[in-house]
Amino acid sequence: MGSFVGCIKMKAGQLRIQQMAFMIIAIFFFFVLVGLAFLSYETKTTSSDFADLQKQQAISSLGVITNMPELSCGELCLDADKLEVMTSLSNSYEDVWPVASINVTKVYPKVDKWIKCPAPDCNYYSVYDSGRSSVTQYGTFVSLCKRVKEDGHVYDRCEIAKLSVGVKGVAGQ
Amino acid sequence: MLQSNKKGDFDFEWLFAIVAGAIILMLAIYGVSKIGDAQRYTTDSGVAKQLTILTDPLQAGFADGSYGKVIFNQESRINNKCDNVGFGTNSISISTRSSVGEEWKRPGAATSTAKYIFSSNLQQGKEFYVFSKSFNMPFKVADLLFVNSKKYCFVTSSETSAIENELNGLNMGNIEVGSRNNCSDDSIKVCFNSRCNISIYGNCDSSGCNSVFDEGYVEKDGKRFNYVGSLMYAAIFSDYDIYNCNVKRLIYRTANIAKVYAKKADLMNSRDCNTNLQSDMEFLASVINSSDLDSVNSIAKGIELKNGELCGLY
Repeated sequence: MGSFVGCIKMKAGQLRIQQMAFMIIAIFFFFVLVGLAFLSYETKTTSSDFADLQKQQAISSLGVITNMPELSCGELCLDADKLEVMTSLSNSYEDVWPVASINVTKVYPKVDKWIKCPAPDCNYYSVYDSGRSSVTQYGTFVSLCKRVKEDGHVYDRCEIAKLSVGVKGVAGQ
Repeated sequence: MLQSNKKGDFDFEWLFAIVAGAIILMLAIYGVSKIGDAQRYTTDSGVAKQLTILTDPLQAGFADGSYGKVIFNQESRINNKCDNVGFGTNSISISTRSSVGEEWKRPGAATSTAKYIFSSNLQQGKEFYVFSKSFNMPFKVADLLFVNSKKYCFVTSSETSAIENELNGLNMGNIEVGSRNNCSDDSIKVCFNSRCNISIYGNCDSSGCNSVFDEGYVEKDGKRFNYVGSLMYAAIFSDYDIYNCNVKRLIYRTANIAKVYAKKADLMNSRDCNTNLQSDMEFLASVINSSDLDSVNSIAKGIELKNGELCGLY
C-alpha cells in the first residue's frame, strides 16, 4: 500500500514537472512570437522610413542637378551645349549623379515631334540612364539656354524645358 | 520513504524552474540587447542618410556662401571617410551616445556622397554647424561643405576685412570675429599672418587677387595646408588627410569639367561664337591626376583672364 502511494506521488511529481516544462516552452514560444511580431513591424517601419528618405533625396536632387557645373548655366538654367556634351560623357559620371536617370525635354516653343539630341533641331536630351527598372520620375521646369552670337552681339538664347530625374524604387509610388 | 520522495520532488521542481527561468531570462535579455543594438544601428544609418540629404539645401548654390545648423536629439559622433579614386566620395556614418551599456557602439551604415565634406575624421557634439562656399577654378567646380561642432575665433585685421564681412554676414553660431581679446577662452583661435592655434599666411600678389589671402597656406597641428580661394576654410575646419583627399577629388572634378568646357568651346566655335579657350581647357583637362593645387591654379588664372574676351565660355 505504501509503495502504491509513493508511486502515485512520484507520478504526480513527474506530471507537475511535465506541466511546468510545457508551460516554460509555451512562455518561450510566446516571447519568440512577440519578438517576431516586433521585428516585422520594425522592418516595415524601416522600409517606409527608407522610402521617405529616398523621396526627400529625389526632390532635393532636382536642385542639385540644376546646380551642377557640368549642366548648369545659372539658377534654374541648363546649358544646351553642356547637355549635348554630357550625353556622351555621362557614363563616366555614374558615381556622381545622385539619380538613376536624367532627361531634359524642351516644352516651349511647342514641340510636334521628338528628336533626340545631338541632331539638328533636336528637342530631347537623354543625359543619363543607369538602365535601372522601376524608376519613379520627378520633374521641374528650367530655362534651357545656349550662348549665341548674332549681328556681333553675344547673348544667351533661352527656351523652356522640363528636367526629369528618375529615382530608383521609391515605395508607395 | 514518502517524506524523502516529497522533498526530492520539491527540490527538483524548484531547481528545474530556476534553471529554466534563468535560461529564458538570459535569452530574453540577450535578445532585447541584440534588438536594441540593431535598432540603434538602423537609426544611426537613417540619421547618416538624413544628414546627407539635409546638407543638399545648405550647399551654397549661386549664393556666395550659406550656413545652417544640424541639431541631434542626443550627443552624436560623425565619422567622415574620404575616398579619392576617380570622382571619389565622402562616407558619413553616425554613432549616437547610449545611456545603457556601452557608451559608443559601432556607427551605423555609412552613406557615401559625391559631395565635398571637409571636417575632422571624427567629431562629437549635439549641434553641428554646416557652412558652404563654392569652389571656383576659375569656373564653378563644386560647393564645399564645412561641418564642425567646435567654436572658432577669427582674429581679424584691416587686411582681412572681406573675410570679416563675410563671416559677420553669415552670423554663424560657432564663429566669433574680432580682436584676440574678444575671443572666448574655449574657442580655437584663427589668426592671419601671425601665430595662433590655426595660422593663415596669404601670398596672393598677382593682379587678379582681391586680397592677399586669396591664396596661401594654413598652419595647423604642425602641418601645412596649401589653399586657393574657399579652400582656406576647408583647411581650417578639416583634418589633414580629409583635406588632401578632397583637394585631389576637386582637381579631378576640375579637369573633367574642363573637358566639358573644351567640347562646349568646340560647339560654340562651330557656330561662329569663338571662345579662344578650347586649347586652354584641354590643357586644364590634362591635369586630371595631379595633386599640385598651385599648378592647376596658375592654368586657371590664365583661363580667367581670357574668358569674356570673345564669346564667354562660362
